[in-house]
Amino acid sequence: MQPLRTNLESRNAIADYIQTEFPFLENTGCLSPHVGGRKAGLERLQHFPLEKYARQRNFLDGAVSQLSPYLSRGCITLEEVRQWALQHQASHSVEKFVSELAWRAFFHLVYQDEGDRILQDLEPPKVPMRQHQTTLPDDIDRGETGIPSMDTFIRMLKETGYLHNHARMYLASYIVHFRQVHWRTGADWMYALLIDGDLASNHLSWQWVASTFSHKPYIFNRENLERYAGSVLPGDPRKDDPFNYSYEELADRLFGNDYTPASSRASGNYR
Amino acid sequence: MTALIWFNEDGLNPAHPMVQDYPTAPRIYIFDRPYLQQWQISKHRIQFIYESLLEIADIQIYQGNTVPLLRQLLEQHQATEIVTTETPNHIIKAWQHDLQSYANLVAYPEVYPVNDHSSPRRFSRYWHQHDRAWLTP
Repeated sequence: MQPLRTNLESRNAIADYIQTEFPFLENTGCLSPHVGGRKAGLERLQHFPLEKYARQRNFLDGAVSQLSPYLSRGCITLEEVRQWALQHQASHSVEKFVSELAWRAFFHLVYQDEGDRILQDLEPPKVPMRQHQTTLPDDIDRGETGIPSMDTFIRMLKETGYLHNHARMYLASYIVHFRQVHWRTGADWMYALLIDGDLASNHLSWQWVASTFSHKPYIFNRENLERYAGSVLPGDPRKDDPFNYSYEELADRLFGNDYTPASSRASGNYR
Repeated sequence: MTALIWFNEDGLNPAHPMVQDYPTAPRIYIFDRPYLQQWQISKHRIQFIYESLLEIADIQIYQGNTVPLLRQLLEQHQATEIVTTETPNHIIKAWQHDLQSYANLVAYPEVYPVNDHSSPRRFSRYWHQHDRAWLTP
C-alpha cells in the first residue's frame, strides 16, 4: 500500500505522473485551463464581475463565474459563495446568481431523496423516446458530427473538461432530441468528461432537457444558438441545417404530432 | 479515539472545519480505481482533484479499492474513527455505509441556508418557498 507522490512541482509533472499511475486514462494531451484547488477557486471568485451576471449569463462569452469545478469538488462551499454574493448591494444580478446556487442545492436535495433512481427516468417523457439509442454514436464522441457548432462544443468539453451551462444544454438537446440518443447515455458521457461532473447537477439537467424531469423537452433553434453562442462558434453550413426552423416547425419535425409546444420559450433557463 | 480524516471528491477543502477539529488526524484521499474505470472518468477531472489535494497539508493519496484500503489504514494507524463530509453521491454514500461496520463514522453535513429537506420536484416551487432564506445573509 504505497501512497502516491505529493512532491510534484508543476502541473505538467502532475499530468505525467497521473498518466503513469492511471495508465487506463485517455491522454488529453493538454492541460485544462481550470487549475484545481481552493486558492484558484477563491481567486476566481474575487475576479467574478457579479454585477454583469443577470444580463450576460446566458451568452457564451458573457460574465459567468466558472466556479462550478470548485463548488462541485468542494474546494469552496456554496455557503461561502452565497455570503460573498450577498455582501454586494441587492440587485437583479445578485438574486439571479444566488438562485443559480440554489439550483445546485435543489439538485442535491432531489438526489438525496431519490438516490440512484436519478439514473433512470424520474417522470414519463413528454415526447416519444422509446426508439432512442443507448450507445453514443462515434461521430459525437469524436466531435465529428459535421456540424461545426456542435463539434466546437465537444472539442471544448474534451480539451478543457468544462463547458458553459448554455453550451451543455445545447449539446444535450442536440444529442437527445436531434440525434435521438437516450439521455442517460449522453449524461454518462458528459459526466465522465467534466471536471465538475456531479451526478445530481449533470444527470438531472439531462433529464430536464429530455423532459423526464420537466414539463417539456428543451429544444433550441438557429436563432437562439446564434444569439447566445454565435460569437464563439464557427459558422454552420446553411444547407440541411437541422436547427434553422421556428420552434413550432422543430417540434413537429422532432416529435411529430405527439407534442404541442408552448408558444414561446425561455432562453435557456431552467424555468 | 484515534481518527482518520477521509476526503471524498465532493469535499476537497483544506479549510474545512473537520481539518481544524481533528488537527492531528492523518489526512487520506483514495482514488477508487473501480469507480474511475467504470465511469471512465477523464484525466482532466483526476488532474483537478490531484491539484486540489496538494493544497491539503500532509495529505496521503492512495489508489485502489476504497473500503478495503481504508480498513488497512485504520489498522495501520490503530484508528477507530473516520471523519469525512456528507455528499448525496450514492457511490460515496455506499462506501460510507460499509465503513460503519469497521469504524465510527463522523460525517460533516453540507451547509445550506434552508434546512427543509423535502424534495420539491420543480425548482420554481423550491425557489418560491425559500427565496427569502437564500437571499438573507
